[in-house]
Amino acid sequence: MTTDLNQFPQLDKTKFEQRGIQLEIGVPVTCAVSIGNYIAAGFGDGTIRIFSSGEKHKTLKAHKGVILCMAKDGDNILTGGDDGYFLKISLNGEINEVTNFGSRWVDHVAAHNGNLVCSSGKVVYYWDKNKKEPKSLNHDSTIGGLAFDAKGRRLAVSRYGGVTVWKKDYSNKWKSTKLDWKGSHNKVSFSPDGKYLVTSMQENVLRCWRLKDKLDFAMSGYGSKVKSFAFIHDTSYLATSGAIDAICWPFDGEGPMGRKPICLPYIGNKQVTFIEPFPDEKAIFAGLSDGSVFLSQIENENNTIIIRSFTGSEVSAIAMTDDKSSIFIGDMSGNTLWTSIWDQ
Amino acid sequence: MENKHQVPVTVLTGFLGAGKTTLLNRILTEQHGQKYAVIVNEFGEQGIDNDLVVDADEEVFEMNNGCICCTVRGDLIRILSGLMKRADKLDAIIVETTGLADPAPVAQTFFVDQDVANKTKLDAIVTVADAVHLSSQIEDHHEAEEQIAFGDVILLNKIDLVKDENIDVVTKRIRKINPFAKIIKTTKCGAPLKEILNLDAFSLKRILEVEPDFLESDHDHEHDDDVTSLSFVSDKPLDMEKFQNWFGKLLQTKGQDIMRTKGILDFKGENDRYVFQGVHMLMDASPMGKWPDDKERSSRLVFIGRNLETMNLKEGFEACKSE
Repeated sequence: MTTDLNQFPQLDKTKFEQRGIQLEIGVPVTCAVSIGNYIAAGFGDGTIRIFSSGEKHKTLKAHKGVILCMAKDGDNILTGGDDGYFLKISLNGEINEVTNFGSRWVDHVAAHNGNLVCSSGKVVYYWDKNKKEPKSLNHDSTIGGLAFDAKGRRLAVSRYGGVTVWKKDYSNKWKSTKLDWKGSHNKVSFSPDGKYLVTSMQENVLRCWRLKDKLDFAMSGYGSKVKSFAFIHDTSYLATSGAIDAICWPFDGEGPMGRKPICLPYIGNKQVTFIEPFPDEKAIFAGLSDGSVFLSQIENENNTIIIRSFTGSEVSAIAMTDDKSSIFIGDMSGNTLWTSIWDQ
Repeated sequence: MENKHQVPVTVLTGFLGAGKTTLLNRILTEQHGQKYAVIVNEFGEQGIDNDLVVDADEEVFEMNNGCICCTVRGDLIRILSGLMKRADKLDAIIVETTGLADPAPVAQTFFVDQDVANKTKLDAIVTVADAVHLSSQIEDHHEAEEQIAFGDVILLNKIDLVKDENIDVVTKRIRKINPFAKIIKTTKCGAPLKEILNLDAFSLKRILEVEPDFLESDHDHEHDDDVTSLSFVSDKPLDMEKFQNWFGKLLQTKGQDIMRTKGILDFKGENDRYVFQGVHMLMDASPMGKWPDDKERSSRLVFIGRNLETMNLKEGFEACKSE
């Protein structure tokens, strides 16, 4: 008998799988967000499922096609779809149309303090909470990602050739600053302390700008495209997918320049495809290309536990409730797990 | 990623008015029991209204991989990854490019983006050509010539409007540019869809199956900037190291002018046939099993591109023959 170390061991169900609710929806899970102690998950058939502990999940038919993106706006869910609709959905299941672009996709949505944004193609639309009509912010190329900073004062828009940072001046006019770097920029995020801006690129690399002096640098060495990243424990670390380890760059002190990342290894040698922070802890959930999900402490790699075992399908969504009691996991084949995280 | 299912993607190109929209409408409306998505350009000829039509922007950008001619279609990466999240599985995807667009960035997208390559595969480049106007379009627009050069299938459309002898002239003109494309003569793009979709023209296996009567070593030298083709045959086995050095350097330095390459190679000391094919600098190559017993071993390769006569291809190829 020989053992192939690349074969994921046939594990029994984890305790989380045993006590949680597992569903086989059969349609890709495309996104998930936490809203209080609820989790809303979006699917490739346009449905949304809302999970909460002690209740059966609720299914809503929201879009006609794929739900491409999701964000929270207070107690509401914002979704954009390939049917061209930008929707605002309450936890009770009330669906309101924000706008509809017809055959053009709504690629990205975000919100801060009641102000809503979405992007479709090269244009960002911004709805001030006090106004009915949106303001259009134009760009030269298709938008790869949107992000507000923690205070909602700045809106970063990634695109081909860099990032445009929009800000309202004192006369309430939009002003933009460009951060240029050749190539196609996808997901974008401000660090929670507002000091850095990070994008993941079409190439297997992250680009980072230190905003006070616009100093920019790369974080590279990835085996594949970095599709998921998140700042951890305020701005202590930036945890990233795109390698067979979860790569965690130190962002405390003077930042990551000249410092080595912490690499958290997982059994099976599969690519990490999704990263979700464990709120307020130096810990992450890492989802892999084979469907397994682990919880790891960044500064103690031995402290890793398996949450979900192999499903054979890439993890595409993880979200934890705000009270840190329960977690939702979804993958590209529509296998989901909804479970409490603590032993009773 | 065992048994991965890849949705075939057909690139549909051709000059304005050649009949692309006619073909797309047929694909979308005919009862064929298949689910096809069509990605069209928003500035296309006329609107096609269907749930499975996606508007694209034809955003071409350069990859930062040190390869100057490695341009890809950014919008396609986004749209294909979106389509792969659909609940209903697609049987094929058709990407329409505008009349003036070079089809190469579309093809290159399938080599360059890992997610796209995992879930979809380039099936074939189909060029719709207008039998009435093709000759003059080739004279006036280099794009028309390029579209012919890249095609795996060329639908020579509107033949009902052209005299037979002129069809022969146009066919010869196409052959001079592209000796390996399959030419289908049609009126109103009326070819069976199975001759257009799901051809697997980019698979290396397929190159062996449609084994090339084109790979005859005949060509005329013309010193102009026309797109043309050159092919070479050798019955003497090649030296693998010499070939790799020569060919690698050639694609690296002349990859912009070399549009497509295909070949089957016999290397000294190797039992397997080596098959390769490339679009500009990007190449896919692999050993494809033993030589059949009933066939003489020989090496054959074909180049389609511009300025081929300046690249000393014959000398380079000759020098790869083993001692």
